[in-house]
Amino acid sequence: MKQYVLRRVALAVPTLFLVSVIVFLLLRLMPGDVATRMVEGHAYAPTLAALRHDLGLDRSMHAQYAEWIGNIVLRGDFGRSYWTRQPILEEFVRRFPVTLELALLTIIVSVVIGVLVGIVSAARQDSVSDYIGRILSIFALSVPYFGLAVVVVVLPSIWFRWTPVWTYVAFSVSPAENLKIMLIPALVFGVTRAGPIMRIMRSSLLDVLRQDYIRTAWSKGLSERRIILRHALKNALIPVISLIGLQMPLYIGGSVIIEAIFRLPGVGLFFFEALGKLDYPVVQSVNLIIAAMVVGLNLLIDLSYAFLDPRIRY
Amino acid sequence: MPSSIRGSATNSEGASTAPSDGRRAPGGALLPASPENRIAAAKPPLERRQPSRAWYLDVWVQILRRKPLGTVGGGIVVVMLAGAVLADVISPYGYAQTSLRERFVSVSAQHWLGTDQLGRDLLTRLLYGARVSLYVGFGAVALGSALATLIGVASGYFGGRLDLLLQRAVDAWMAFPPLLLLMSIMSLLGPSALNITVVLGLAFGIQNSRIVRAVAMSIKEHTYVESARALGSGHLRVTVGHILPNVLPTIIVVATTGLSTVILTEASLSFLGLGVPPPYPTWGGMLSLAGLDHMYQAPWLAIWPAVALSLAVFGFNMLGDALRDLLDPRLKGG
Repeated sequence: MKQYVLRRVALAVPTLFLVSVIVFLLLRLMPGDVATRMVEGHAYAPTLAALRHDLGLDRSMHAQYAEWIGNIVLRGDFGRSYWTRQPILEEFVRRFPVTLELALLTIIVSVVIGVLVGIVSAARQDSVSDYIGRILSIFALSVPYFGLAVVVVVLPSIWFRWTPVWTYVAFSVSPAENLKIMLIPALVFGVTRAGPIMRIMRSSLLDVLRQDYIRTAWSKGLSERRIILRHALKNALIPVISLIGLQMPLYIGGSVIIEAIFRLPGVGLFFFEALGKLDYPVVQSVNLIIAAMVVGLNLLIDLSYAFLDPRIRY
Repeated sequence: MPSSIRGSATNSEGASTAPSDGRRAPGGALLPASPENRIAAAKPPLERRQPSRAWYLDVWVQILRRKPLGTVGGGIVVVMLAGAVLADVISPYGYAQTSLRERFVSVSAQHWLGTDQLGRDLLTRLLYGARVSLYVGFGAVALGSALATLIGVASGYFGGRLDLLLQRAVDAWMAFPPLLLLMSIMSLLGPSALNITVVLGLAFGIQNSRIVRAVAMSIKEHTYVESARALGSGHLRVTVGHILPNVLPTIIVVATTGLSTVILTEASLSFLGLGVPPPYPTWGGMLSLAGLDHMYQAPWLAIWPAVALSLAVFGFNMLGDALRDLLDPRLKGG
């Protein structure tokens, strides 16, 4: 087990190195000059050359890369924003709880809906409820979450002549107010993300229910509820969990759009605004931090299989 | 297995002469009949009937006959295609034609789906928007499929160090949340139809090269590939002549099921203002935050593009699923 974890961590290092090279090169090789924009529009420095020097843009590319990555590895310093001169990591840490809360609520919503509908669909295969469940999953797969979000934002104001005010309240300030604001975005995003979960839950439970040990459980005279919840569900959940793991990047990517629509001050909005201002250090470091999280999360998910299925040993 | 050499070397001839041989399995004369051969010979010739049409035509007939949802999906796709191609014939308006006297008209005889804040006809804009979705969708998928085939076959067939190198690069790319990476690239390249097609194609190709690689690796192990090599065929002949035709069904499946994802991603990028620039209409752009204030006045501005997008994604999903059921070798029983 320990060896397996160590090997996986060791394998992640070259991946993350390549990730850092990709983001760095992408931003440097492409047209668009942040310094010009900062001087012309906003008078950040007297001359272009002075600003370039200040930002370190006048140095060679490998020197810039070495400085960026060196500071991260040696000092945990992810650099500062060009525009605000604020440390990126600090801002990231401040905003991350919002994105994390959104992601967790979304996952809870999508898993609860997906697993419940999936179980009913599989347990009553080819019944009316199965067809309703399958239609729901097709619907969830087809409706784009941002389209649904816009409609959800717009319609209440038309129907009830009430425009919800999307001002974010931190969880630490008022948990109730915070949940009220987070719930609708999480519901919108979670419902659309539940589609694939419903599908995979149904097919994997159908698969498990046909296995011998389930037949044994039936012949022991156990109730259906007990067979499904105690015997079948645990095994059937494995593909669901790996799906959520695989889709983690989609949850994070989607949070950019959801945060923009509902004005939630999370990492996604931070990233989106930085992009608009060509704030390279922010774009680069946020990309890298999130990629590292995705890699780490996938490791955690692989390890969780051992918990769900005791036959799996590393 | 000798039967697979025969089967592929003589192709369809082998299949059609085999039944006339009676009980003898192909290759049965060369080797003592193995249990597998006997089972193959005893199996009733269910899948043996030769369709008179080529397989790529037969697939559509099969969908119409056996896949009601696939037929519905195909119907939606055909309507969308027709609407996109015939947009200027169908609609009397231009997509950027404004009419300040007719702002925020809801449903009317002149404007079936209403108009927007500049008095532009919504249906017209949806039809032209379908063009973008299809152009970017098909373009990116075609480009991406070619790229996936190239990377996948190179990586899977040649293996070794090339495989290791290519796969680490693919690993790194897949560690990014796709939307974040695409947003980064698009915001730097600048929004345009060509840029977004190329970028989405790149992403699609890299992502799906894994699937092609897996298939190429399994095909490589077949005896007919080995015998082709033994007969002196070069790598080019083997990959183009033997690997490629067998990877093709997988690529078609990947491409059709991927179309809806690509269309959705294009819409999300356009939604963020990173897709095809205005005034050309895109479904994502029509939904975008920039128009949110107007949507409070005219909710149909939000609803119709969302419905169009959902229908398109639904159509391509269902058609893709049906095609996959019929074509995916991994799903074919036996």
